[in-house]
Amino acid sequence: MMETISLTINNEVHTVLIETRQTLLSVLRDKLFLCGTKNGCNHGVCGACNVLVDGKAMRACLLLAITLQEREITTIEGLSENGELSLLQKAFASHQAFQCGFCTSGMLISATALLDHDSTPSISKIRHELGGNICRCTGYVQIIDAVKSVCEGKTDCT
Amino acid sequence: MNYVEPSSITELMNYVTTVEDYRCLAGGATLVAMMNVGLVEPELLISLHKLDELKGMRIDQNVIRIGAMTTHTAITDEDRLTGNASLVRSAAGQIAHSAVRNMGTIGGAISHADPSADFPAALTAANATIEVLGPSGRRVIQIDDFFVNYLETSLTEKEIVMAIMVPLSPADAIGHHLKFSRVDGDYATVSVSLALAMEGRICSYARIAVGSVAAVPLRLKEADDILIGSNLEESEIARASELLLKSSDPIDDVRGSSSYRKFLIPRLIRQAVLQSKKELSYT
Repeated sequence: MMETISLTINNEVHTVLIETRQTLLSVLRDKLFLCGTKNGCNHGVCGACNVLVDGKAMRACLLLAITLQEREITTIEGLSENGELSLLQKAFASHQAFQCGFCTSGMLISATALLDHDSTPSISKIRHELGGNICRCTGYVQIIDAVKSVCEGKTDCT
Repeated sequence: MNYVEPSSITELMNYVTTVEDYRCLAGGATLVAMMNVGLVEPELLISLHKLDELKGMRIDQNVIRIGAMTTHTAITDEDRLTGNASLVRSAAGQIAHSAVRNMGTIGGAISHADPSADFPAALTAANATIEVLGPSGRRVIQIDDFFVNYLETSLTEKEIVMAIMVPLSPADAIGHHLKFSRVDGDYATVSVSLALAMEGRICSYARIAVGSVAAVPLRLKEADDILIGSNLEESEIARASELLLKSSDPIDDVRGSSSYRKFLIPRLIRQAVLQSKKELSYT
């Protein structure tokens, strides 16, 4: 069954015709062409589709879009402001915290949620909190270094 | 698929009684994953997220009532889960990862009845009761009678879980959910849930459940009875472990072979008991 719903994504209201069974991930990518959020496993294991819902990280592949009409959704496209990358995004770039880049948007969402909650996490907490995001290029060290650099205010960004 | 979000229990029961092929949607962490691979395709999906009665936690006569729609994160952050009920908090914090804990709910998790999941064993050890609602009214199910088989509960077809009631007493008990898994955030290969209290050097209360080693959480009153009244010496822990090991019937799967799980059972029980004993001796 099709239904028209309104979703607030990155502070913008989108009215979109969806299938009732459609996930947020599918609506983001296939209807709204916000393709920064990636489809990895499509069953909640890899973290590539992480988005923020009311400021909390969640799996877009496990959320039905129709249940989210009163929620605030933030995707990777919403982390920058007026074209300016966030500190974490800059740190990922300066630390070369990616190789193929497929996991990056999910990693950035998890890291953003972590730092919103705790601005000075320990290394073990960073590792633990990013444990739900899988990187298959084994770039974990640079990713953790990038997050750490933001906590320490040492982001060397250009 | 049709979709509804009832805002009252009456409305919910109306859908449940008039539609044959429906599913209730809680957090979606498991149900939506199953829908994504085509395992479940109900005619009607009933979202429970607008039902206030299923939300929040409250304490009533030394029992904490946890609404079925409470997320794992909310339980992890709840500091009123003390004494015996601290066990539930310990388990909640070990389920999957933050992004899943922010969505998944306790009601959804136990309705799915996966014996490898963390809540079934933890709630068994915590001696919880489950409040359920169906067309013929409400009833309360003791946790030992709730899990029936792999992915099967004693809920009848039209019943749903409303709340989970966990006794805070013994107030001097501590609870631990000790989990062995392949990687952080995975389902347990074996888990041990334990509520334990001591008076001086004597164990005054013990309730152990082992997860992921049988179709339902494994608990034996005889094993608890060996520990209660004892000094929790190695030999007593070993006897209790032996009983539980004999009753286990683990499967082989990607998380470990049956024999490996049997290898883990006594070791994890020993670790859980000794760790709790040590902590209690400091308080």
